[in-house]
Amino acid sequence: MSSSANKGRALPRAGSALPRAALPWALVTPALGWTLLFFVLPFIAMGFSSLTAHEGGAFTASNYSQFFTNPSYWQAMVNSLQVTAIVTVISVLLAYPFAWILAEQVPERWQRLALMLAVLPFWTSYVVRSYSWLLVLAQNGVVNRALTSSGLFAEPVQLANTRFATVTGFVHFFVMLLTLTIFANLKQLSPSYRKAAADLGAGPVRTFLHVVLPLTLPGIMVGAFLTFVLCIGDYITPQILGGNNELLMPQLVMMQIGRRGDFPLASALSIILMAVVTIAYLACARWLKIERA
Amino acid sequence: MRKVVRIASWLYALAVYAFIFLPVVVLVLFSLQATSFPIPPFTGPSLRWYDAVLSDTRLTSALVNSLLVASISSLAAVTLGFLCAWGFARFVLPGSGLLRGLITLPLTVSYLIIGMGLLVLFNWAGVPKSLLAAGIGHVVINLPLCFAIIYSQMGNHQINIERAARDLGAPEWKVLLLITVPVMAPAIFAGFFLSMTFSWDEFVISFLLTRFGTTLPVEIWNLLRSGLNPKTNAVGSLVFAVSIVLVVLFELTLLRRRKA
Amino acid sequence: MSAKSASTNPQSILKNHLHAACAATALLLGAGSATQAADLNALIWCDHADPALLQPFEEANGVKVNVKEFEGTGAGLAIVEQSQPGDWDVMVIDSIDVPRGVEKGLFEPLPEDKLPLADLFPQVKMDGSTVVGGKRYGITEKFGYNTIGYNKTKVDPADMQSMAALTGDKYKGKVAIYDYYLPVIGMAALAIGKKTADLTEADLPALKDELLKMKANAKLVGEVTASQTALATGEVDILVGGGEWVTAGLAKENPALDFSIPKEGAVLWSQSLAMFKDSKNKDMALKFIQYIMSPEGQARLATSSCYWGMPANTKAALTDDQKKVLRFDEQPGFLARAQAYPAPNADLDKKMQDMWTEMLQAK
Repeated sequence: MSSSANKGRALPRAGSALPRAALPWALVTPALGWTLLFFVLPFIAMGFSSLTAHEGGAFTASNYSQFFTNPSYWQAMVNSLQVTAIVTVISVLLAYPFAWILAEQVPERWQRLALMLAVLPFWTSYVVRSYSWLLVLAQNGVVNRALTSSGLFAEPVQLANTRFATVTGFVHFFVMLLTLTIFANLKQLSPSYRKAAADLGAGPVRTFLHVVLPLTLPGIMVGAFLTFVLCIGDYITPQILGGNNELLMPQLVMMQIGRRGDFPLASALSIILMAVVTIAYLACARWLKIERA
Repeated sequence: MRKVVRIASWLYALAVYAFIFLPVVVLVLFSLQATSFPIPPFTGPSLRWYDAVLSDTRLTSALVNSLLVASISSLAAVTLGFLCAWGFARFVLPGSGLLRGLITLPLTVSYLIIGMGLLVLFNWAGVPKSLLAAGIGHVVINLPLCFAIIYSQMGNHQINIERAARDLGAPEWKVLLLITVPVMAPAIFAGFFLSMTFSWDEFVISFLLTRFGTTLPVEIWNLLRSGLNPKTNAVGSLVFAVSIVLVVLFELTLLRRRKA
Repeated sequence: MSAKSASTNPQSILKNHLHAACAATALLLGAGSATQAADLNALIWCDHADPALLQPFEEANGVKVNVKEFEGTGAGLAIVEQSQPGDWDVMVIDSIDVPRGVEKGLFEPLPEDKLPLADLFPQVKMDGSTVVGGKRYGITEKFGYNTIGYNKTKVDPADMQSMAALTGDKYKGKVAIYDYYLPVIGMAALAIGKKTADLTEADLPALKDELLKMKANAKLVGEVTASQTALATGEVDILVGGGEWVTAGLAKENPALDFSIPKEGAVLWSQSLAMFKDSKNKDMALKFIQYIMSPEGQARLATSSCYWGMPANTKAALTDDQKKVLRFDEQPGFLARAQAYPAPNADLDKKMQDMWTEMLQAK
């Protein structure tokens, strides 16, 4: 990439309003400035706030020590990590075969439509999506009606207001998202890889395991990481579907703001949450590079 | 063997489709409920809840607010993202890798944390809560996305066309407007469209940063808090319908472009 | 927050720097969000957001009422502190929390002669809280009980006469808990024989035990709507913390819903209106308070779409049906057996909230 960019730069230019060296900076500075002013600076402010006391504003580390000493705060992180891990694994396991079917089994001309249909519910409003699941899973909702009237269960099962409901709501969203990313990944595979494997005598199963799966792994990792980030920071889904039978980190953060206006503690909890996401990022950093085509 | 795989595939795909569409079907069906609870038995069809939504000024003004915030913030995000991508793709800048990392960093941070940070900053700076504040937050989340999409699509053949234009003596702004923007139009459009989607549907940043006039997702949240009623189904179905129309229009313009 | 006066603490130093750095941005944003002078800005609970309540006032006075909902008093006061002086005109606040706002110098005394104080239920005037230093800062507008709400076709109403039913095995998995810590902690206090007004830190372990027992029986812990819905749709049969605010509004949809005041007593909730000292629109703010306290305003507030409740004004223009649903005529008997919300200081409040968090997390 840099060789062609160099050539572009070496060309003589006439009639420019800006000095040659200033132009690239003029292009990138607005975006950089925006990021510094409204992303980095807020983060610093939040870090600062997290080290102050709710009453009085004196310096203190108590917002952090509370998290580590109060088991119910700590539990929120454990719950968040558990739910996120479960959601990520189930979503990948459900989405991969589905994306594979769309890419391999559906005739080429119907693929676009099939994919469109698969992500259509994505366009319902995000708050409404969780709410719809509440209706589906309610005590008198359609699922329970079907279960009891089919004779499978004598009594309605508690589905809504549980961790199961939260996970279902999340999985629904991320299956759509992952289907999209994995499908794109599968389509990018050159058919010649598979042909080569077949020519070398590999059966379909071996071809899949040794050629297709490893080649799509980076795509899966990107999707899984996206799932992780979006899932662990989400407030709406557990709040609507979980019935407050347990708290996840975002609920704990919002509770500090909503009930007490305790911004320092909310800041500290947010920073802890962010630290966990950063660790996850570092763990899969090598798959997450954005490169030019 | 082939056949077994095929049948199994079909069954699996159908099961996943059913799972994906289950909440949508329930949502739309019970938006037509005639009584006050959106749970079985179905008592409709009735349009009374759609009527209730359309005559609720809080919801309709929230809809307008959402459209405004989404379109303006997306425009800002895609403009900043495009200029920045162009700068990084065309010129060698010191510390380029690091700076690109900085621009894309917000992608790895939860919306909740971005919203919290802005809230704390704005509180201290005495900036009042407003739609504009929420819009700023939306640019923060969408700028890296636009940048990444456009940057990844800037290939060498585009550089060559630009070089040709420069060789013919076109000034830089002309190259940008007449060559780069049209050539990059699909990526720019994709960035804009995705930004619109995310902004349109974003909840937590708007929730934290707005005061009276707020966006549709926040107003729907308020509605939800005032009771489980088919009105929420109706507004959800309406949003869904509008979104579908937009997606189809998007697909059609894209397809036409490809064929042309 | 005291940060405003002390300029040496780190928060205000940073604040000063940020002020300089963000001056331009603030100016820009401020211009975009300035509300019109004719608007009335109200910090409220969801029952005040009902257009049926606000529209008649807006039309009669040619004013737009902007409303912002908040959850707890702490959060409401935090919103005020983050705003500019003069941003807010009126506020809805728990009657027992009026002194907290007065302490912070936020409220304006109300002119008693211009308000229908004589018409209020005497037990809910709560002068101990609403009058500070001889001046009236709050006027009670609506009240009710956090007690046991239930579906009388699914449970034995006789069991609902004792709080023991909430922690017993008979209704395990049939119970929801209203997700607001103060009233439910108040109920737990009544259940273990304590007065809500006398709670101290020493009572917390016993209260926690009681809460955990309730949680073990509960299917969910929900906010106003979630808990209402759970009871109305048959998800649960009993709501801890429920009362007429749940059953009355849903009476038409589900006439089987009822509430009881058990032998241990009930917790009285009471919300007041207060005016801000820095309001730029005090005449209109007073008019708004007068409207809400008028017989028509009281009737609309009592039957608001978010939740129903007893009007504080005995002359509220309610229909006979509405009065029956609210059990208007039984109020003297109920009031005699009710105790106010616990009113903890900041330190105990934080501990109570942590205890509540612990209850939520308990499996």
